[in-house]
Amino acid sequence: MSEAVSSPPARQSGPGRALRRLLREPLGVFAILLVALVVFGAIFADLLTQYDPTRINPRERFSPPGADHLLGTDQLGRDLFARVLHGGRIALYVALVSTAISLAIGIVLGLIAGYGPRWLDNLMILVFDAVKSFPTVMLALALVTLVGPSLTAVMVVVILVNVPGYARIIRTQTIALKTSEFVTAAQSMGASSARILRVHVLPNVIGPLVILASMDIPVVIAIEAGMSFLGLGVRPPTPSWGSILNDGFSNIRETAWIAVAGGLPIIVTTLGFTFLGETLRDVLDPRLKGRG
Amino acid sequence: MTKPRNSGPTRRNVLAGAGAFGAASLAFPHISFSQDGKVVTVRSYSDLQVLDPAFRVSLPEDDIIRSIFAPMVVPVSGDVWDWKPIAVESIEQLDDLTISFKLRDNIGFTDGYGQMTAEDVKFSIERIADPANESPYAGDWSALKEVEVKDTLSGLIHLKNKFVPLWSTTLPTPASCILSKKAVEELGGKFTTETVAQSGQYLMAEWVPKQKTVLKRNPDWAHEPGGFDEIHIIPIEDPATAELGFEAGDLDYTWTAVSSLPRLKENPPAGSVVLEKPSLAYVWLGMNQDNETLKDVRIRRAIQHAIDRETVVDAAYFGAAAVANGIIAPGLPGNRDSVTYDYDPDKARALLEEAGATNLNVTLDILNQSERLTAAQVIQANLADVGVTCEIKQNDSGTFWTLGSKDGDYFMQLQLILGRYSMQPDPSWATVWFTPEQIGVWNWERFDSQEYKDLHEQGLVESDPAKRDEIYKKMQGLMDESGCYVFLTHEVVGAIHNDTIEPGLKPNGESLLADFKPA
Repeated sequence: MSEAVSSPPARQSGPGRALRRLLREPLGVFAILLVALVVFGAIFADLLTQYDPTRINPRERFSPPGADHLLGTDQLGRDLFARVLHGGRIALYVALVSTAISLAIGIVLGLIAGYGPRWLDNLMILVFDAVKSFPTVMLALALVTLVGPSLTAVMVVVILVNVPGYARIIRTQTIALKTSEFVTAAQSMGASSARILRVHVLPNVIGPLVILASMDIPVVIAIEAGMSFLGLGVRPPTPSWGSILNDGFSNIRETAWIAVAGGLPIIVTTLGFTFLGETLRDVLDPRLKGRG
Repeated sequence: MTKPRNSGPTRRNVLAGAGAFGAASLAFPHISFSQDGKVVTVRSYSDLQVLDPAFRVSLPEDDIIRSIFAPMVVPVSGDVWDWKPIAVESIEQLDDLTISFKLRDNIGFTDGYGQMTAEDVKFSIERIADPANESPYAGDWSALKEVEVKDTLSGLIHLKNKFVPLWSTTLPTPASCILSKKAVEELGGKFTTETVAQSGQYLMAEWVPKQKTVLKRNPDWAHEPGGFDEIHIIPIEDPATAELGFEAGDLDYTWTAVSSLPRLKENPPAGSVVLEKPSLAYVWLGMNQDNETLKDVRIRRAIQHAIDRETVVDAAYFGAAAVANGIIAPGLPGNRDSVTYDYDPDKARALLEEAGATNLNVTLDILNQSERLTAAQVIQANLADVGVTCEIKQNDSGTFWTLGSKDGDYFMQLQLILGRYSMQPDPSWATVWFTPEQIGVWNWERFDSQEYKDLHEQGLVESDPAKRDEIYKKMQGLMDESGCYVFLTHEVVGAIHNDTIEPGLKPNGESLLADFKPA
């Protein structure tokens, strides 16, 4: 019988319609171009450059940008263009995978907190707030001290930082929907809690999270770059934008190109995903257009 | 009746004055004044951890220790290795086994611990030599028989046997610093960062961990005063960061990265002086022979053959430093012109195959500095060429300098380490750290050779330079054979200072804080 219970009205727009509206916004088009540039570079890194990003050639150290090396070389003679492209893979991998995992965990915990008993809600809120209260850098330092620097450590930090925020949003929306008519109707027809959450609640609370997640991606990239800059993230010789930036900082007096090569992709990606998130927000919820 | 006009400072006056002071500070950033007078701000490459001369950890601590606990003698500033008296009025070698000394009669300890006496000298020296105290520096006084107190200020240092490095690497180091017997006994026999009973030219006024150490002139010091009223020591691990700090006007003096020297010499910042000094220090890749992965000597020998030392040194120091062939620098007995292993990746692969070491994974621990990271990445690439996967682990100085300690929990997991030890002008001061007694102290490779130890002891009593040369070369040959060492470089010392100061430096460029003066 529960199958007969109708879901609430669909969201205002499907993905296709949202994309069409996104493409009508100049900022949206610009954002898509920037993001596409970064994604294309990361995916086709092996085709776009002949150089191995880890190959050392000290005789060619600090070569300026030119035909041989588009962005020059670093202090070990490694091609910076190759390192930036391959560093993009790391940045996007960390950003997309850890954001997806954060979303999944945040959604599950948020649904449980919002739909579960009051005591469980209070307990989970306490845990979310406790985790959220740790400054990101302190959390990263503590974790790295325990398990050592690695890509996994970066991702765990990102997940720990993001989950409480996502879970809180889902929780709030779930509490609001818990007493809505279509949920009450499903309950009265014997639908299980799991089914109600999956079929009736989740589709109605996930929209804002997509926007939030897209706006969090540059934050995650900055966390990965920051940890790698501090030597707490990706280990050498794996290229990472943060470690390139660190090389640039250490050798800024010799050449500025390394710092430029490390900083530029972070700026481009941050701008791209931020604009994309903002435009998505405007498209999906026009009431918020123009608000910070 | 009119209200009297307020002739005191108004809020506006105060703000205007503060503004003018700030503007003046910006205009003349190199001049700073304390309440009492001039301040010099210097960088040290690590923060202090231990002030006890018997258990000191790093070179920057030596400088602080000998400034606040008066030593019998200190090295002199300049280009020639020599010493000068500080706490002693006279000190003289009477024969191979006896040294007489007389303390100055007006040196006191702070905090009410009274006058410095010959009894304090006896206590301070014998506690380092006493094996029961397990001082890592017991070797400095290994020849000590006893200190005989003649009267309040005089005494005799009796040696068991002739000890050649006494005047070069024992007395002019913190091993001759005199502590208050009473104060140290009250502290339980040893201490770390407590600053009771100071006696030197300076007193430690403030220590903010990881931020700064402030030394102030000792008002009760009646002899040659230090050149500045205050010395501010800022711990900055990375030399590149320190160079930026210097150029920003935050530092008056710093060691530079060796790799920065060519650029700085060619184009020194305005108002600065760039110095280059020959270094006695040594940098090497060490391998822990007791680690399960590296137990087989063929694996260690393979790693020796896998490392292209020329490329490592060239990449890390941008051509400013030469490759070393041992731990003893040029100019000292025992300096070698070759090692017994060459760069031969094929031989490395063959040795690994013979040892059955396929898919070998090792971890290389390094100090978190740009030069070390660069060197480590070349080593990593060299090892990858012969099929060894090397993971680089960067450590801050506090962690790094305890990695191989038997008191920690990592010393058996330690595999490869990029080490750098500072050095005094006698070869025994290089070889002592690799004797069996130093295993788990400073001998982190856990290299264990009785023959090496016997040779080390021979070197301490041999005064013929040719024979010493032979002894120390043989010792380094044993180090080669063990497979535990890949010798990299002695570096050079690069330093930069404001032209408003004159730094006090040993011939190898190590600083002598009390000898810093205004130019």
